[in-house]
Amino acid sequence: MKINYRQLSILVFMSFIALKCLALPGLLYVESKNMSMVVTLVLMFVDFIYALLIIDLMKKSNEKNILDFMTRCLGPVLPRIFMAVLIVKYALVVANISKGLEFFVVENFYNSLNWIVFVLPLIILVGFMLYKGIRNIARVSELICWAIFFGCLYIALKSIAGIDVLNFLPAFHEGALPLIKSGYTHMSWFGSSTFLLMLFGKVDFTNEKKLQVVKYSFLAIALVMFVHLVFYGLFDVTSPTHNFCISDISQYSSGQSSIDELSWLVVSLWVTAQAVQLALFGYAMIQAIKFTFNIKSNVFPILFVLIYIFVWSFVGEQTVGLERIFLSHFSSILTIFTAYVIPLILYVGYVVERGKGKPKKKGAKNEKVKVNI
Amino acid sequence: MKFNAVETKKDIEQKLHNSSDLKSRTVQFFEKTIVLMYIADITDNVLFNQTLIAPITNYNKPLEKDVITELKEKVLASHEVIEYETIEEAMDDMLSGKSIVIVDGEEKILGLDTEKITTRPVMEPPTSVVVKGPREGFTESIKYNIALIRKRVRTPDLVVNIMDIGELTKTQVGVVYFDSVADKTVVSDIEKKLKKIKIDGVLDAHYLISYLQRNSKSMFKQIGDVEKPDVLVGKMLEGRVGIIVDGSPIVLTMPFVLVEDLQNSDDYYSQPIRVGFVRVLRLLGVILAVVLPGVFIALEIYHYKIIPTEFLVTIMNTRQGIPFSPFVEVFFLVVLFEILYEANLRMPQYFGMAMSIVGALILGETTVNAGLVSPPAVMIVALSGITFYIVPSQAAQFSLLRLAACVIGACLGLYGMLIFCVFILSYLSSFDSYKSAYLAPTAPYIDRDQQDNFKRDLIKNMKKRPKSIANNSKNADRRGDENQL
Repeated sequence: MKINYRQLSILVFMSFIALKCLALPGLLYVESKNMSMVVTLVLMFVDFIYALLIIDLMKKSNEKNILDFMTRCLGPVLPRIFMAVLIVKYALVVANISKGLEFFVVENFYNSLNWIVFVLPLIILVGFMLYKGIRNIARVSELICWAIFFGCLYIALKSIAGIDVLNFLPAFHEGALPLIKSGYTHMSWFGSSTFLLMLFGKVDFTNEKKLQVVKYSFLAIALVMFVHLVFYGLFDVTSPTHNFCISDISQYSSGQSSIDELSWLVVSLWVTAQAVQLALFGYAMIQAIKFTFNIKSNVFPILFVLIYIFVWSFVGEQTVGLERIFLSHFSSILTIFTAYVIPLILYVGYVVERGKGKPKKKGAKNEKVKVNI
Repeated sequence: MKFNAVETKKDIEQKLHNSSDLKSRTVQFFEKTIVLMYIADITDNVLFNQTLIAPITNYNKPLEKDVITELKEKVLASHEVIEYETIEEAMDDMLSGKSIVIVDGEEKILGLDTEKITTRPVMEPPTSVVVKGPREGFTESIKYNIALIRKRVRTPDLVVNIMDIGELTKTQVGVVYFDSVADKTVVSDIEKKLKKIKIDGVLDAHYLISYLQRNSKSMFKQIGDVEKPDVLVGKMLEGRVGIIVDGSPIVLTMPFVLVEDLQNSDDYYSQPIRVGFVRVLRLLGVILAVVLPGVFIALEIYHYKIIPTEFLVTIMNTRQGIPFSPFVEVFFLVVLFEILYEANLRMPQYFGMAMSIVGALILGETTVNAGLVSPPAVMIVALSGITFYIVPSQAAQFSLLRLAACVIGACLGLYGMLIFCVFILSYLSSFDSYKSAYLAPTAPYIDRDQQDNFKRDLIKNMKKRPKSIANNSKNADRRGDENQL
């Protein structure tokens, strides 16, 4: 059950935009003020580089899965540890998406919503997609990808007339330090390329169009940047009070007086995108669980992920300040390690391993070649 | 084994329980007794007399070879004379309209095709009506149907494999495909599945569907059905395999992808620009048919704040005095619509118009006037009901989905509807029909096949066979070698 290169590119696109258009812009503003977009741009670009790096490794590896590849490059012990750490990272992303989705749905669609009414349909959908595997997730992403893109573009374009360019000035008036600090604090919203680690051996690279991933990644970065630009341009200092960037920029909310007839359609599309993202990172989590505990069957890992989403939704309902988890040092370090350190170690390990495997050519250095002209 | 003509005749009569339509005639031919047997109502009497009785009784030349050879080569005036080694073989063919010739003391029985084909004339099928284009439709006779295909295809590449299915009916089932175009593994897979079928009788092509489709319990159709030879040949040219069943005017096609239902044979006989527009309309129609009542219920119950104020005021005014909740109101209308549809379908044709008037005008008007339902609800259900039949072959599935959407809209609101829609997409994405993805060429997206997806390119530009259908990839070019053109 392999996915093709175009589907891989679309998954990259979807994961790049997944967490960026809800609470993130408002949260970033607290520290990095009107230069928040720079933080997003830099970190998304880093994610893009890492996505290319992992895909390159994917192409080079002949193994059926990441665990075998890691074992070949790094030996038998480290991969299991890495997998265990990746489970935590994926769990964090799943939690972030599911809570974000819940708040978004409740805020935009209902006056109040019982958590179980929210979580049960979601679990059925995600459970089904997880059961059907990555190809199913990829195909659904393919179906909704352009609708999401044009929907977000429409929302942003519709509100563009209201932005104030002066909101972005003066640039860098507090220097780069707040931006670095802000980037570090909000790291758990980035590291989108980590899911790619679990797709080793699941991508068919025949008929690959080389620039497809680059094209989709740039499209995602451009879209997120544009939405953020409109958001900061509209709200400026009030940005931190807006938790749902994509719906707030269109002035859409059931609680607000100004209603746009088409915006709710676009906001609806965003819900579907989040649900698919949940399935994608849920899939990555399942793979990591299987590799860590050497489980062959999919059933128990799927059940575990679904129970996790269910419990998380309940816990989230009972606790206050979930953002503290996502904004902690732990989340930031975890993301840096899983998204940026592990792939780098893997790449270095691969290069070293390949160097060892190459037979040395004796006497080749001083050999003179006569060329008859 | 040598056959005794009289004893064999008795044996056959006994085996057929002395059936009253079993007829026989005994004649003498060069001092040999010959028994001619046939089933009366399925045998063409004129043909029987011309090919059997007259040649045998009028033959007056000297006998040069043994009787069987003489009969085969010189006497019997038929295009095909079959030899049988056993009574059972001969009986099987006799039951499908052949006449058998039992010569006393000979080791073989002869069979001649004297079948009387009783079928209706070739007509335009009611579900595939076209404005422009061929109007011929398949009939219930496999022979006529194969002839209709052969008429369009004059190539040795066309393969027709006929087999008998059904322990009692022994229905003729033909597998048709282009040898150089169809995927051989798909063909062998289909033939293997057909040969494995153990069933008393096959009365229609639809009997075979559950044996052929992978997800036999799924509500979505995974096997195509066509009623017109031009459509079948068009599909076969793309690499599909057809299954013709004697007694059915429906020909099954495999592999099947969902977009086929959004396409119509008319599309290929009209301007491409118009086709693209119409196909998008059809897709929109399908979406409206399934989700519109559910979304309407969800908006009325949970999300009335996102309905534009002026529209909301109109809806609220029309709902004044309605005793039912929006869900009960819409659900009642949907069920009413289904009842009317079922009644209309089975009602004699001359009642149809009266039924439409009673159903649509009187019943709809009076329920609104009586204050049982609101006009917007009637409008929504009517719109959804009409758009169903944009894709008539999937209307039954859509009606069930519409009911599910109503319940989900009422229980979970817009969020539930969204999850429902993604679930349906995910479910459809999980199908593969004979190595072809169900939602192809959209998911997975196949660039080359966009020439005939939601838009249609000019016929002259469609140079390659679709990649989304499993076919012989080595022969992907529709016109062979381009240099020859």
